[in-house]
Amino acid sequence: MAPTAGEERARAGRFAAGGPVRAVAVMLTLAALCCAVWAGFTWYAAAHDDTLAYAATRDEVREAGEQAVQNLNTLDHRRLEADLDSWEDSTTGELRAQLKKGRKQFAQQIRAARTVSSARILSSAVAELDERAGRAGVLVAVRTTVEAPKEKPATKQTRMRAELTRTSHGWKLSALAQVPVGYTADTPDERD
Amino acid sequence: MARPAATRLLSALAALDGRRARGCAVAVLVLALVAGGGLLFRAQQLTGSPSARNAALTDHAATSRVSGEVGDALARVFSYTPEGLDDTEQAARELLAGKAARQYETLFARVRRQAREQKLTLATRVVETGVTRLRGDRAELLVFLDQTTTRADRKPTSAAAQLSVTARRQHGDWRIVALTAR
Repeated sequence: MAPTAGEERARAGRFAAGGPVRAVAVMLTLAALCCAVWAGFTWYAAAHDDTLAYAATRDEVREAGEQAVQNLNTLDHRRLEADLDSWEDSTTGELRAQLKKGRKQFAQQIRAARTVSSARILSSAVAELDERAGRAGVLVAVRTTVEAPKEKPATKQTRMRAELTRTSHGWKLSALAQVPVGYTADTPDERD
Repeated sequence: MARPAATRLLSALAALDGRRARGCAVAVLVLALVAGGGLLFRAQQLTGSPSARNAALTDHAATSRVSGEVGDALARVFSYTPEGLDDTEQAARELLAGKAARQYETLFARVRRQAREQKLTLATRVVETGVTRLRGDRAELLVFLDQTTTRADRKPTSAAAQLSVTARRQHGDWRIVALTAR
């Protein structure tokens, strides 16, 4: 229904300079602008927060570490080349060079032994992360299983420390070793 | 006479054609709300993700505190001598809670017998500690331990152990609430 001339005038009056509705509308708009600016600052601070970036890197490192340890404990004699390629893809530096160098001989050994090794990551944690140097240390608890023909599968739980280095293709393994016991011992853990 | 800026702005707006001014104001309002909402949403996504809320390593002081306290606790509750069993159990009462405390009680009853009969000594040393998750009063850690068992008149034997630990902070101190051998 169209408003009558009287109503139109009354509305115009309320919106006129100094009218209460107009004042409120202007204030609201200003308040909304202020909120938008504040939201902008909030977003900018979050997007450029070093701590948040560091947290993201930490998770990236942990994931890369887990995947690399998993890869380097996986080796199936039936798809040897693919598995060994993934070993090389997961590593960098000296470790990668060593793997490449020993690849041929190692492949022969595995083909002869016809073993299938697999691994499951049980738990992991990033112990150190130097974002600037691009180096990190990750602790990994892993269960490895080695199956050989005519033998019972051998399962073993080990603790490993992986050193990772940042490369242009992401974080790669630069060293991987079992964390040795400080004393000479080979007794299994009795506390389960 | 100097007029306040707001009043000046209001009269400037009043000079505009009413309908047009209203249109502008509504457009600005909507734009501000949409942009503000979008930015806040994105900021919330950045700061509210599980990754961002995990303070492991990002809060250096808190990370080393929980690592230290949990490491010390493990070394204490998993070290005993035949004479000092009560001390170990007392330490466990202070440092363990919840499921871990119940599991430990069951285990310790057995340990008590063995330790006395076989003159058993266990020494636990923390080799490495990593904090997987740290959020408020709750933390998850992966700890590598060396455990050296000594039986009377025999050479000590050592074993590697790796534990997933859940800890909870109660009254300012970290207590272990769950343990899983890995």
